[in-house]
Amino acid sequence: MGSAAEQKLVKITVNGTEVEVPEGELIVESVKRLGLEIPIFCYHPRMKPVGMCRMCLVEVGFKQADGSVRMMPKPQAGCTLPASENLVVVTDSESIHRDRKGVLEFLLANHPLDCPICDRGGECPLQNNTIFYGPSTSRFIEVKRHLPKAVPLSEYVTLDLERCIQCGRCVRFTEEISGDSQLAFRFRGAEMQPSTFELTDFTSKFSGNVIEVCPVGALTSSKYRFRSRPWDLETKASICTECGNGCNVWLDYRSGKLVRINGRTNELVNEEWTCDRGKFGQEYIDSPERLDRVLLRKADALHESSWPEAMDAIAARFVESGDSSAMLVGPRATNEDLYLAREIVTKTFGSRNLDHRWTKNLPNNPEATAVHSRIADFETARAILIFGNDLSDEQPILYLRVRKAWSQFNVPVVVISDRATSADAFAEAVVRYAPGEEVEILTSLSGMVRGGGGSEDLKRASEILRGGFLLAASSSVFNSASGEATAVALRDLCASAGTPDGYNLFALGANEQGARDLGILPTEGGKDTKRILEACASGEVKSLWLLHCDPFSLYHDRGLVERALENVEFLVVQDILATEATLFASAVLPSCSHAEYEGTYTNIERRVQRVPRILPPKGSARPPWQVFCDLRLAATGAMPFFGPSEVMEAIAKEHSQFAGVSYSGLAGEGCVLASADSALASAGIEGGGG
Amino acid sequence: MDIIQINYRDSRPKAPPPENVELKFSERAVRELEQLLTHYPDKKSAMLPALWIAQREYGGWLPSNAIAEVAVRLDRSYAEVEGVATFYTMYHPGHPVGKHLIEVCTCLTCSVCGAYRIADYLKQKLGVDYGETTEDGMFTLEEVECLDACDRAPVLQVGDQYIGPVTREDVDKLLERLRNTAEPTSVKLADEIVQTQLHASDQEKVRKG
Repeated sequence: MGSAAEQKLVKITVNGTEVEVPEGELIVESVKRLGLEIPIFCYHPRMKPVGMCRMCLVEVGFKQADGSVRMMPKPQAGCTLPASENLVVVTDSESIHRDRKGVLEFLLANHPLDCPICDRGGECPLQNNTIFYGPSTSRFIEVKRHLPKAVPLSEYVTLDLERCIQCGRCVRFTEEISGDSQLAFRFRGAEMQPSTFELTDFTSKFSGNVIEVCPVGALTSSKYRFRSRPWDLETKASICTECGNGCNVWLDYRSGKLVRINGRTNELVNEEWTCDRGKFGQEYIDSPERLDRVLLRKADALHESSWPEAMDAIAARFVESGDSSAMLVGPRATNEDLYLAREIVTKTFGSRNLDHRWTKNLPNNPEATAVHSRIADFETARAILIFGNDLSDEQPILYLRVRKAWSQFNVPVVVISDRATSADAFAEAVVRYAPGEEVEILTSLSGMVRGGGGSEDLKRASEILRGGFLLAASSSVFNSASGEATAVALRDLCASAGTPDGYNLFALGANEQGARDLGILPTEGGKDTKRILEACASGEVKSLWLLHCDPFSLYHDRGLVERALENVEFLVVQDILATEATLFASAVLPSCSHAEYEGTYTNIERRVQRVPRILPPKGSARPPWQVFCDLRLAATGAMPFFGPSEVMEAIAKEHSQFAGVSYSGLAGEGCVLASADSALASAGIEGGGG
Repeated sequence: MDIIQINYRDSRPKAPPPENVELKFSERAVRELEQLLTHYPDKKSAMLPALWIAQREYGGWLPSNAIAEVAVRLDRSYAEVEGVATFYTMYHPGHPVGKHLIEVCTCLTCSVCGAYRIADYLKQKLGVDYGETTEDGMFTLEEVECLDACDRAPVLQVGDQYIGPVTREDVDKLLERLRNTAEPTSVKLADEIVQTQLHASDQEKVRKG
């Protein structure tokens, strides 16, 4: 990692104040150290500067040996000007104010100024800069140019061509960050417009980000268009639960309804990006399919019931069933839900049958699902190996991080997959295998990393991986027939490259990692997912509880799921949405979505992040942990927890990895759990972190 | 471009996946492109000459398949190649160009010397406006900015030739001559430029001795 000591500092003068900054730092960033601001449009801290909009003009000069300052004749763009020794910058002079007014007057010459109906009105950099730096009136009396105002680039992104100020942020985002280059400027001069190839569908997996990087209202969200004004929205910090990455987001809501989701900066997790699944895929929260009433089966039909009635019925059945009861857990339950689920199954019901895994193979070795690296570690890795499915589908934001590692830090990437993936485009070496051959490929690769030789296509890969690498694989490897053997082979490959701590088998679900850490697994002699379903089908398991999961969509064997749910005597479905499984239920318990109750989620790098309650629950929906408390109270009279923070205290007492974790300490970036074996996670890192 | 009903996914076509793009370059064109690629540090840099090859191969203009083919052959995105092709005025993406492209300079010197009279005469004679092609697909008329031949104002460009100063009689003769020219001059211009590019490095060597 680049430590501050290595960087040479230079003295520059900003508005008469001397300040030391790293050499080469852009002036637009340097002035922030003095609390100053230079107005910008095209500059974005995460993209290369282009100096297109000229908004950041500053006066520049150099201090001479005799102490006098020689100013350059013309102003320079602050976003393309690197700091150097004796540089003098003036951001606040008469002529700079005039220049800014001039630039804004030009930008506004063709801007429609339809702010009163614009989605961006109220949070628009063009509006803000015009108010702070612009002219109060325009000298242009000519008719403005008129262009199409609603060009749908994709299902999610709608382009308003009139509002575009041609800053190129969106084009650079697709080129530099997401890497698909699906947007480019067509035509030139005043006619220049960002567009996809011949206005075909904008299919990028990260298209939603261009809405946020656009400094005007040109790229708008098709879902949010005209739905609200920013000042009517309430905003709370939340995290996304669409995959295990745990991206930080702002959840904007109005009158108790989710309106939109924007990326929230967390340098260690998602920087500021979101994927389209996270940004647009959370509409289920207000879906009419939401379960909002307690239902109990009487004879052949489900009838509306009440929580106390349902609790009594369920407690009686499950306690009676004892070890012939079971619980299956889905990926969207908080740590508090999971902890109490385990408590209630093992202690209250006295059962050993509990599982959270839905893959074909169910690994017994906890080493197989180990995670050693953090997301940000990938930037400083020696090399990266992506194994298995397309990373941009499974962990989109981790994919962006790997791509950043490659594009900014020249980290070589190797892809080993059975299909074409997005990462192939920038991978140094791509190895394809036919499904079923993965163990063979990995074993021969390990051999080559140790001793060389072997076939040509693996040779390049082994050369890159020799000397250490970080692995990005996910629990989807267990979906292949040789899942467990593949995990062993991957571990062996990491070890033979000298970096056993580069092994990462990331979780896929929102809190799958939490379930791993809290041991949502069959206890000694208990049944795993497959055997629970089989036992349900044969009548051996009499009561089954489904917590936030639909086995029909999660498990590969539909026939088995159907037999299991049909034959089990008593089925409790506790879920957010009505699923196929609710049709088989004996009792349906409506549950809250992640936005409706407080809790913590553990992401793929074992970072525990807290989510507040933002929206009111739908109907009589209740958070699962509360339901478990009530059930415990009904069955055993155990003292209930009065809040999720109390549950976390209990977790911290019982699980050593959670030691020291408390709600008050989880504000901000969250905290990463202590590693069970506490090995140095940065073993695959060049320089060992400086 | 019409204002389209938003949120209607099916109405928007999808770009073809690279493997479905029909590759129509002739063997000669493929050889030329390979040779051109050796002139540059990366494939992206060869985009301008590659577009010229495409313009020649596709008959003097760049249909969407031509842009897609260049993108596939250079490992770039379609949008990026389209952006380049629409930036420069000598590429003709999107709409076909006749066998002969007549470009009328109407910049300062030419317009002072009567370029608009010549342009009007051409419009009347061909029955087309700027940017349009005659029905028989023979001529396309275009207004261009300075051709850097003010000494010959008013000047026309047809293919790789400058003609000027032109009078109405010259226009008649020119059209007559072009009608009898079998080879499309718009394609010929593209070929000339490709050949110049191909031999650019040889010339460099000669100059350096």
